[in-house]
Amino acid sequence: MSQPESSCTLIVGSGHAGCEAAFSLRQNGYTGRVVLIGNEVSLPYQRPPLSKGFLAGTVDDQALLIRPADAYEKANIETRLGVQVVSLNAAQKTIELSDGSSLGYNHLILATGSRPRQLAILDSERPLANVHYLRTLAHAQQMREQMLEGKRLVIIGGGYIGLEVAAMALKRGLKVSLIESMDRLLARVTAPDVSSFYQHVHQAEGAKLHLNAQLDRLNLDTTGERVESVQLSDGSVFPADLVLVGIGAIANTELAEQAGLEIDNGIVVDEYTYTSDPFIHAIGDCCSHPSELYGRRLRLESIPNAVEQARTAALAICAKPLPYRSVPWFWSDQYDLKLQTVGLSQGHDQTCLRGSPALRSFVVFYLREGMVIAADCVNRQSEFALIKKLVQGRQKPDIPSLVDDSMSLKDILAQMTTPA
Amino acid sequence: MKKWQCFFCSYIYDEALGAPAEGIPAGTRWEDVSEDWICPECGATKEDFAMLEIA
Repeated sequence: MSQPESSCTLIVGSGHAGCEAAFSLRQNGYTGRVVLIGNEVSLPYQRPPLSKGFLAGTVDDQALLIRPADAYEKANIETRLGVQVVSLNAAQKTIELSDGSSLGYNHLILATGSRPRQLAILDSERPLANVHYLRTLAHAQQMREQMLEGKRLVIIGGGYIGLEVAAMALKRGLKVSLIESMDRLLARVTAPDVSSFYQHVHQAEGAKLHLNAQLDRLNLDTTGERVESVQLSDGSVFPADLVLVGIGAIANTELAEQAGLEIDNGIVVDEYTYTSDPFIHAIGDCCSHPSELYGRRLRLESIPNAVEQARTAALAICAKPLPYRSVPWFWSDQYDLKLQTVGLSQGHDQTCLRGSPALRSFVVFYLREGMVIAADCVNRQSEFALIKKLVQGRQKPDIPSLVDDSMSLKDILAQMTTPA
Repeated sequence: MKKWQCFFCSYIYDEALGAPAEGIPAGTRWEDVSEDWICPECGATKEDFAMLEIA
């Protein structure tokens, strides 16, 4: 059963998830009206280069677009950019936009994403000229102008954003200090072995890392509009020409909350991306979905999750539902190191190492009761697809084989029997 | 010769160039690239690629 031509699907959010949802609807035969609404003025663009090539000046705006401008017209996808959705009336199936217009829908897809967590000690209403967050093109454009050789960059937060920018800034000749409140880098997402590998790499490149460091205050210059130094609770002071804050992201659930949808660490959805309202879907960074593999709800901030959930929503709307069962995975580029992670490592009771951190090519496997639940891979592109299969298949491999780099993963997988 | 782009990271596989670093010679058509091949930039699979329309 296909949707009637009079059907209308609205997509709120023009990031990776929203863009994919629009095109996926058409690919699956949806002939109704599709309107993609976003509060950024540009067409959907790639976010990963914002912390790498774009900030370095080697990639320009046009190269960032996820789809070329003419693709939207060709696919008959309407776009309303630079407008905010100010309210949602789920009973009447209408939304109101910041330009005063309103739109009705048969289906609504919320792809509102997440926003950077703000530093509590700063008044977010009065931004400082040299303090940066990094999520949008506008953020990256503002920051890029200040990323000059010799400048002192202080980074608050030792997660992916902080480390990717640190890598790029050091290569461009900035002086980099990084402040992390936990006892290691990437504390929420990797094992200690991987944290210490990255710590050594960044220190070897010249970054000054301060772990277990609590931020106390940002000292302003005489204009009161710029930070001139960053101060920790132990009293140490770091002069700064610019500051980057990368301390996590908050799901944009306000619209859904206001409309009465169920919220729990994101907009709650089922495995077909339906929210608590049968005409509304939520996808990407803003939603929490059930994971059969991990036996709990997850909210994932990754492009694969955004894109795959977008497809799930489109399939559901086109009456061809397929449950979303993908294993979480993610990548991060720092220097010559490609980190690809699959699965979630919380709850592991064992790790094992394949390859060599000293040679900058290795895999850390995380196991629980003998089953591989996650893996962090550095410069192991040729093995990553098979490692994803290991995790997805809930395999219990032979560990001596796994850690033997001379044994191919293909052979290891072939040896295994299907788990009970 | 066609070009295929990764949805996740915008890496482009150009049939004319192949991916020699991955053992795929220049001129290898997309359909002849192994189904196990993954995007060298991010790890997405072949089904996460779309053919680029020539303008």
